[in-house]
Amino acid sequence: MKKSRIVGLAAVAAVWLALSAAAWVSPAKDISEAERRKLAQFPALTAQSVGSGRFMTDFERYTLDQFPLRDAFRRLKAVVHYDLLGQRDNNGIYLTGGSAAELEYPLNEVSVSNALKKFNALYETYLSGSRVVVSVVPDKGYYLAEKNGYPAMDYEALFAAVEDGMDWAEYVDLTDLLSAEDYYRTDTHWRQERLLGVSQRLCQALDAQSFLAEELTQTTVERPFYGVYCGQAALPMKPDTMYTMENSLISACTVYNHETKETTSVYNMDKLESRDLYDVYLSGATPLLTIDNPNAETDRELIVFRDSFGSSLTPLLLKSYKTVTLVDIRYLASDYLGQFVDFHGQDVLFLYSTLVLNNSGTLK
Amino acid sequence: MLFSSIPFLYYFLPAVLAAYFLVPRQAKNAVLLLASLFFYGWGEPKYVLLMVFTIGVFYGCGLAVGWAKKGAARRFWLILAVVTGVALLGVFKYADFFIANIAAVTGLSLPLLHLALPIGISFYTFQCISYVVDVYRGNAAPQRNPINFGAYVALFPQLIAGPIVRYADIARELDSRVTTWEDASCGVRRFLVGLGKKILLANQLGQLTAVFRASGEKSVLFCWMYAIAFTLQIYFDFSGYSDMAIGLGRIFGFHFIENFNYPYLSKSVTEFWRRWHMSLGSWFRDYVYIPLGGNRVSKPRWIFNILVVWMLTGLWHGASWNFVIWGLLFAALLLVEKSIPAIQKCPVWLRRCYVLLAVTVSFVIFNAEGLAQAGGDLAGMIGLGGLPLVTRESLYYLRSYAVVFLLGFLGATPLVKTLAQRLPQRAAAALQPLVMIGLLLVCTAYLVDGSFNPFLYFRF
Repeated sequence: MKKSRIVGLAAVAAVWLALSAAAWVSPAKDISEAERRKLAQFPALTAQSVGSGRFMTDFERYTLDQFPLRDAFRRLKAVVHYDLLGQRDNNGIYLTGGSAAELEYPLNEVSVSNALKKFNALYETYLSGSRVVVSVVPDKGYYLAEKNGYPAMDYEALFAAVEDGMDWAEYVDLTDLLSAEDYYRTDTHWRQERLLGVSQRLCQALDAQSFLAEELTQTTVERPFYGVYCGQAALPMKPDTMYTMENSLISACTVYNHETKETTSVYNMDKLESRDLYDVYLSGATPLLTIDNPNAETDRELIVFRDSFGSSLTPLLLKSYKTVTLVDIRYLASDYLGQFVDFHGQDVLFLYSTLVLNNSGTLK
Repeated sequence: MLFSSIPFLYYFLPAVLAAYFLVPRQAKNAVLLLASLFFYGWGEPKYVLLMVFTIGVFYGCGLAVGWAKKGAARRFWLILAVVTGVALLGVFKYADFFIANIAAVTGLSLPLLHLALPIGISFYTFQCISYVVDVYRGNAAPQRNPINFGAYVALFPQLIAGPIVRYADIARELDSRVTTWEDASCGVRRFLVGLGKKILLANQLGQLTAVFRASGEKSVLFCWMYAIAFTLQIYFDFSGYSDMAIGLGRIFGFHFIENFNYPYLSKSVTEFWRRWHMSLGSWFRDYVYIPLGGNRVSKPRWIFNILVVWMLTGLWHGASWNFVIWGLLFAALLLVEKSIPAIQKCPVWLRRCYVLLAVTVSFVIFNAEGLAQAGGDLAGMIGLGGLPLVTRESLYYLRSYAVVFLLGFLGATPLVKTLAQRLPQRAAAALQPLVMIGLLLVCTAYLVDGSFNPFLYFRF
């Protein structure tokens, strides 16, 4: 056999063995920063777990999660997938015009119906007599998908279903106020500094005062924002810059977290080190928050049923409201809500994104 | 455990290779047997006992057939072995199919057994049956060493997806073999090519078939994309597994038979089956068709033989009516081809198109969950059922998978192999390790990302 073949075989074997050795001896990591999730650990080795096959399944998950250079391999896969195989999305994430978005289709009518049932039950149980406004936050795909040849859900049908299914609420359309540029390039969410028009339209529907542009100062958050799509797409993307819209009224507000019993400010700079920089807005995902606004122009109160899009918008609704309660029924069962919130005719805003409405299994 | 998995590539295989090449020659088959039982038990621990039972029964029957002097005694042990093999398949693979059909015909309420199908049972049972038959026919000497025989039956490289290796073909290598540098080099190359076929082509095409199945917006275009995608997927998946098996065998010093030879270039269905899953086709020819009389019988009997063989071929792939129909479709096509020799005079391109169309239709039937779904998919392909010609979704996936389809079409021909062979020797020597390392890294990247990685042979 030619020497060159032996050298070739040795080269392949060396790479293979090096990766194998690294896989065997590398210490396990707890979390993946890029994917924002806990990584699987070595499973318990017992007769029961082996006999049931659970050990084998868990071991496979462990080897995937703990494989050496995992992030680099995920990036390699993404590059091959997009650039070599010409695939238009990777793990359901597509890139267009420098912005990442997820394929969110088709419209899941069962899911929307499930969400509407929950909202109707909330209204019947707690909200009769309140002024209720509902609005749907279109996901980025509304502005990007169809225009760029990606499949998209029937958004108009979803909006119509919400409007018809919540006839006890005033429906506010936001689609004409937003564009793809109003969302972070690397993340699902919208950009707070571009939501003034949205906040003004919602306040108008609630018959409340809203901030004017000149009343707010745009402050840069001193850390680059790598959104959720950076990890999911696994491609090198330039980070976004995040801003907070501030003034003395917002700065004077306090936010009480009923789960952690902590009181923080509206923009929680302790979250600068968190895995998701978007957590700066109202401290991120949590079941129940109460914002006290000592400098409110009125004694009015507002309850916001919301998902994460509400975290960045709600500070812009504070002008007229002495108290704003934010409820996230993904983390707090609707049936027990009465134990935590005193409903007495406050203004109510339902603000949910198309992403949650189309995947409403998480609503409790 | 799948070949295309991180536990196999980076844990199991390196450990087995290290143990195999470190132990003395006389212990190598013991290492292979233990490794193979571990490999098998990884998927379904309790079925290791079934494997050991199978090895024991066929080892004993083989010895008994070899030692028995009288024809009647030899026949007894042969029949016992065949009945045991058929019974194992009958109980573990076909029992619920037969019970359900009896219940449907008689209206009785019969409970199903709901036994999990032991992976690879159809492959290793066929190998065992062929072993005892070959000993009976005098084509092979009985294996006296139970470890060698166990290693043959359970040999992990070809255990779960073939090829169906006949004992006579590797009897000499079972007793004594060496791995040369040439074997190791070719084996690694063949394995990585198979891995690439499986992960980079078959799995991607499989993802498209899964999207189609889940889609609520089907169209005629989407139905055709699905049919073509699955036709390519099953080829690259199956031939990729065979490449990996042959490559692994080569690393351990075995030379397994080829299983695929560019079947989509065939000019007739008869030729297709000489190029597709060749080890299965030749098994049915030698152990069913010829014992039934083959074509040296009356015409009605010959037609009967063909129908029996192809019905069994269909059933071998799964206990469901769509597999039976799939097999009988090929029987019908073969009979037509043999009855109308004029077909052979048609232009080559026309014959190739006919084979591709027939095979594509057959795989739509093959991949369906039942006859109703198969009918629906085929109806969609010819525009029945009110489907639109195209939808936004189907156009999106056509654009998204255009390169994968193109690579699939090219990969199903010998073009890549021919181009590689035409490279100057020096360039080939320099490029080959780079391509192999690249394949290994990219396949690993796909696995690490937790990409779609189905196992198609769970019903075999």
